[in-house]
Amino acid sequence: MSIKSGYFKQHLHIDLTEGTAERRTTGDTFIEKYIGGRGFGAKLVWDNLKKHNFKIDPLGPDNLLVVAPGPLTGVYLPSSGKNSFVAISPATGLYGDSSMGGGFGMELRQTGTDILSVTGKAPELSVLFIDNSETTIFPMPELKGKSCLEAEGMIKERLGTHAVHVATIGTGGENMVRFACVNADWSRNAGRAGMGAIMGAKNLKAIVVRGHKDLPVYDVAGLMEEAEQAFKYMEEHKYFKMWQQEGLMNVIDYANEKGILPAYNFKDSVFARHDQINGTTMVNRYKIGDSACFSCPMCCGNICLVKSGKYTGTVVEGPEYETCAMLGPNLGIDNFAAILSATRLCDELGIDTISTGSIVGATIEGYEKGILSLSDLDGREIAWGDEDAILELIQKIAHRQGIGDILADGSHRIIENWPEMDKIILQVKGLEQSAYDSRASISMGLAYATSDIGAHHTRAWTIAKEMEEGQNWTDDEKVDTVIYHQKVRPLFDMLGVCRLPWIELGLSERHYANFYKYVTGNETSLEELLGLSNDIYDLTRLINARLGMSRKDDILPYKVWANPPLTGPNAGKVIDREDFQKLLSLYYQKRGWDENGIPPDEVEKKFSD
Amino acid sequence: MSKKLTVIPEQCSGCRICEIVCAIKHFGVNNPKKAAIRVLTTYPHPVVRMPIVCSQCKVPACAQICPTDSLRWLDGVVHLDEENCTSCYKCVEACPFGAIYIHPDYDLPIKCDMCEGDPECVKKCPKGALMLIPEAALGESRRLNNVLSYTQMKEIEFYEKGEKKVIRYAEVGKEEL
Repeated sequence: MSIKSGYFKQHLHIDLTEGTAERRTTGDTFIEKYIGGRGFGAKLVWDNLKKHNFKIDPLGPDNLLVVAPGPLTGVYLPSSGKNSFVAISPATGLYGDSSMGGGFGMELRQTGTDILSVTGKAPELSVLFIDNSETTIFPMPELKGKSCLEAEGMIKERLGTHAVHVATIGTGGENMVRFACVNADWSRNAGRAGMGAIMGAKNLKAIVVRGHKDLPVYDVAGLMEEAEQAFKYMEEHKYFKMWQQEGLMNVIDYANEKGILPAYNFKDSVFARHDQINGTTMVNRYKIGDSACFSCPMCCGNICLVKSGKYTGTVVEGPEYETCAMLGPNLGIDNFAAILSATRLCDELGIDTISTGSIVGATIEGYEKGILSLSDLDGREIAWGDEDAILELIQKIAHRQGIGDILADGSHRIIENWPEMDKIILQVKGLEQSAYDSRASISMGLAYATSDIGAHHTRAWTIAKEMEEGQNWTDDEKVDTVIYHQKVRPLFDMLGVCRLPWIELGLSERHYANFYKYVTGNETSLEELLGLSNDIYDLTRLINARLGMSRKDDILPYKVWANPPLTGPNAGKVIDREDFQKLLSLYYQKRGWDENGIPPDEVEKKFSD
Repeated sequence: MSKKLTVIPEQCSGCRICEIVCAIKHFGVNNPKKAAIRVLTTYPHPVVRMPIVCSQCKVPACAQICPTDSLRWLDGVVHLDEENCTSCYKCVEACPFGAIYIHPDYDLPIKCDMCEGDPECVKKCPKGALMLIPEAALGESRRLNNVLSYTQMKEIEFYEKGEKKVIRYAEVGKEEL
């Protein structure tokens, strides 16, 4: 095995305190072992933690923010427009990462950079501009308080070009909302784990990239042939056209039918008026165009416009399933135009739609149950489906006004402030749960509980498989499915590609091993690559363990044990605590971690180089 | 009869597959910045995704300004004489569509050569936003769309001095939800 191409072997390290940019050469072993994206990020974050004796304030200057595309990012193959943001998460205080699509990662690579890492804190609100091999950091205090969209426009105007890619934060990031995102290409977000808050804490409003370099590919002809096969497979798939039309919005009907759609802060798992907010309604009444990440034929992004009523003129890219479910049914909203308006607002403010939807939902239920008083809510009532109050609350969160100041700090602080909210809010390790109800799928529960960044669905999305074919799964099968997903999925983030062609259209993971081979010239098998991505799961677990996390934190939200969905196919179902603990022990055993969920010492040795 | 590479921006998703296959075909590299077709995106006002590529004008502004006569229209393609070109880039500035490109690795301007009549971008566009159609058929779909939109116009009847009259008006973009 050896790497012959696929990398520039360049690591650009920025120290914002010193105002310096340093280009380092990355070693072959590092590249071979950690591949890219999330892999690079996890390793650099680990090294940085060791350097600081595992004492890092996520919102302090020492938290290293790693931006890393992968060796396949921007190359001609299906959906290669992804890159990862990795750091210690301000939401959980543990390992965190989030990936974004679009064209930012590819443009970053075209500057000749495989990894960008940022440390320190700029003296005033600044912009980092990587223009091919030149790097500049310049203050732009006039961007303060500007929305992501405005900021992107102002930066392009200042630089006098539209041919750059801008990753920026909004008011949410500037105010260090612990679930703030990084927004690029106007509406592609690294949404989860609070990556935007870290940029805000560093006084870094935006990262701008412009590059013109060829992406290194070892065997272009081989790559082309493999890519053509993959594209052909996708285009002939029976659901391909449906994906182009509806994107992830098709999941709304599916989730409702299966009884896993969050409604009223997961009080229920079906939504009576789902046909008002589903993919069909979107296509027929609101959609005006498609939007795709780089080199993606599926174009799951939908551009929507509200053409009448009080939200007239609202243009937004999205929402996709998670956003629509969390800002729609989860808040009792059945007006798709209002969901579009809330999505646009979150895009502008730069805050995560999943966490926002979850926290607003919990606030409404908390008020309904009397845990939050009217004065807690600054005298403004809020109720299910109250669009105006909900939009107002979202603003207050991003601006940290009134109750928004507490909500902006996420689940941990909310529970600290109102302990009873622990029974209301759905979160694991401080990250709010995604829009798939796990009460009818214990493997999904295990996936949420053992996810390294908190209750996020992308680590192991086993719910559909369990609902469809796993009703009689043994414990072994349940655990194996979760572990297999946790093993495959990091690989996509490491390679810098999207996993949707694989998970949704069934494009074989073998293709990706071949893509990797043609791009890097490194003769390796899928199994070897999966071994490497599995190592990353060990590494992020190790990071969390060293930061004090253990079995006690691998638990599920209270509602999952105690409050079954009221109606729908899964009415009455909850996850049994004992069943879950049994499954968790089996999971640790199969992972080779101890009873307390801690990886053994020899695991640490793997990452000592 | 020559065929025309036609762009249907309403269909474009902005995936830029056209760019990368163009660059691979002509330069053998994964680098959209070396493509002769580029997708320009604006958002949110207005929302446009528009692939910009040479229109192969019969009276090309680029050829008119070229001091060495290196650009010539022949059989539906504006050809660049690479031997003769002095890389002054007057053509790049003169093109009314901005459809000629420059890359620092090359001296010559980069423009669409129609891939000998079988453009790679048209073949690979997953959305059907790029089409190759006979010149005489240009505008056909617009004509049809125009007529169809006329049939959707609304009518109001009214009386003027006892005489019944009809006003027709279009409600484009204002349909009731």
